[in-house]
Amino acid sequence: MRKSLFHPLAVITIVLLGLVPLAGCGPTPTAAPIPTEAPAPTSPPTEAAPAVEEPIKIGFFSPTTGFAAADGTSALNAAQLAVKFINDAGGVNGQPLELVYYDDAAKPDQAASIARKLIEQDQVVAGISGSYSGATRAAAPVFQEAGIPMISAYAIHPEITATGDKIFRVGTLAAVQGRVGGELVGVVLGAKKVAILTIDNDFGVSLTEGFKSRAGELGVEIVMEEKYPLGETEFRPIIGKIKEVAPDVVYATAYYNEAANLVSQAKDEGLDVQIVGQEGYDSPKFIELAGEASEGVVITTDLNRDSERPMTKLFLEQYKAEYGEDADMVGASAFDAVQVLAYALKTAGSTDPGAITTAISGLEDFEDCASGPFWYYTEEREVVRPVSSQIVRDGAFHLYHEFTDEELVTAK
Amino acid sequence: MPFMQNLSNAVVLAGTYILMAAGLTMVYGVLKVLHIAHAAVYTIGAFIGLLVFTWAGNFWLALAVAMLVSGIVGVLIYRCTYHYMLDAPRTVPLIASIGLFVMLTDLLQKGFLMGPYQKALPAGGAGLPRIQTSWFSLTPKQVLILVVTVALLAVVYLILTRTRIGLGWQAAAMDRDMAAAVGVNLNRVIAFNFFLGSALAGAAGVLVGVYNNSVFATMGDLPSYKAFIIIVLGGMGSLPGTIIASLLLALVENFLVASVGYVLPRDAIAFLVLILMLMFRPHGLLGQE
Repeated sequence: MRKSLFHPLAVITIVLLGLVPLAGCGPTPTAAPIPTEAPAPTSPPTEAAPAVEEPIKIGFFSPTTGFAAADGTSALNAAQLAVKFINDAGGVNGQPLELVYYDDAAKPDQAASIARKLIEQDQVVAGISGSYSGATRAAAPVFQEAGIPMISAYAIHPEITATGDKIFRVGTLAAVQGRVGGELVGVVLGAKKVAILTIDNDFGVSLTEGFKSRAGELGVEIVMEEKYPLGETEFRPIIGKIKEVAPDVVYATAYYNEAANLVSQAKDEGLDVQIVGQEGYDSPKFIELAGEASEGVVITTDLNRDSERPMTKLFLEQYKAEYGEDADMVGASAFDAVQVLAYALKTAGSTDPGAITTAISGLEDFEDCASGPFWYYTEEREVVRPVSSQIVRDGAFHLYHEFTDEELVTAK
Repeated sequence: MPFMQNLSNAVVLAGTYILMAAGLTMVYGVLKVLHIAHAAVYTIGAFIGLLVFTWAGNFWLALAVAMLVSGIVGVLIYRCTYHYMLDAPRTVPLIASIGLFVMLTDLLQKGFLMGPYQKALPAGGAGLPRIQTSWFSLTPKQVLILVVTVALLAVVYLILTRTRIGLGWQAAAMDRDMAAAVGVNLNRVIAFNFFLGSALAGAAGVLVGVYNNSVFATMGDLPSYKAFIIIVLGGMGSLPGTIIASLLLALVENFLVASVGYVLPRDAIAFLVLILMLMFRPHGLLGQE
């Protein structure tokens, strides 16, 4: 047998194999950057022809590869949909919007270098994070230092907006949503004993803290509390433990894939207890993966799919038509981040960073968003808005309860 | 009752581990290559199973086609990469294997293949019954995993002990050069070895896809290292060792979580067991010193 390391195919393969992962690591531009200097028009435009305006560039990053690719793709799709809406309606101040986007693979180091690239090379007027908390926290200081506004779509870590006066958020802070969950369990469902399952990351831990603070005020007894790792697929042993303590409700923080396994296995193992989740469950994928076991699950979320608000309906319909998938909460948040930014650009009448931040801070009863309405922004740059509770019935999310108590839904 | 229920759940989990790790053990046994890209074959198996099930609605057909395609992919991987690296230092095929795994996963995640989203594989228990006793119950899906695992292991056992090519595999696993010297057709044996091992990984992919009702491009990330823990625990290259190690790991994971909760993530528990094993019995449970 002739075996040589230097067989040409082997060498080519090794070289290729070496290159592919390297290429995958760098931030790969997925949009061709428009040259900064447009070629000078050869003849002055005639008055009838619409003027071709220089686009206003908005920076965007989300994980479109790697473990978070599903959320990153939803966010990117929805942001592009929002830009299309806005441009079809004539753009902003006569100029079209252009989304300059990169894949951050949900990695903080990549998000930070992308932020620099967006600001220095692409010269964006503002940034939007369609990524997770870790990556968003890494990008926020870069935007803050450069004095460029940034909006976090669905990353809910409190530190993100605490970075500085240029950093805003459209999603509901985890602590607030956790408190609303406590209200849902203690008041709306009237539970006395609750078991808590927490996904062991920023998202889950902040939600559970919020939940426990409200549940404590309402006198709900916490009979069990467990943390489980991200990506867990085997909940059967923990379900056995939950059965032994017999709670009225299980409050479980999870993303849709863990949630789907959790509720399916709870059904298999005969755990007949109301499961309460939050916005991590809010994807049509949850219902697809969990099937019948998802029926009756109640969650808190920002997106009310039964809403009669025109922008919500428009978003849900157009997203499905454009991408062939049902929209999820992550998509709605990214869509809304673009809408808020477009509103601010219109209100400011310029692309001056200071004017944009002032305009976002002054936003009031904003209706042009899929998950709204947005009542106003707090001084901590957190949005105040009603939080919805949804229940799965007949294979779809439907409105269960709406929390409009301003005290409850405002970050403390 | 909780004890028996945890035990039966752990045995089912072990079944998925065994099918995934068996192929790796077989490859290591003959080639001494750490075949990381085996986990990509597992994902490909799940993907093909999903396609066929969506198209035909028949679980058994989906399983058969997925195993066949996975087997062919395994042979192609060998012929295009490791075949040229057999005499190179062991790190060469290892690095190639890591690169291949990353490349295949990224490729599968492209929109024209699997896309970024998880997809349901609602095959249920393929018509198998639920088993309900006073000590434990098995859902149809769990029965399915046990039935398929036991059946495939029986077939592999028969092939390796009763057929010419299986005996050739055993000889090659003991000493590749000597086996070649006494007339074993190494090329055939190795190709067959890849086919069989990859077909088992494909079956594991389909079964896990059905069990969790979810198939996605990065589903191989976890098995890519967990299967290694299992083959090191079992003793590199030992099939019975792989089976025992799979059972052991699944039992430890399940009972630790059921008794004290998630003191550590299940995967960290697996690594802890591995470290203890390397400290006290570095050649694994059934491996040779």
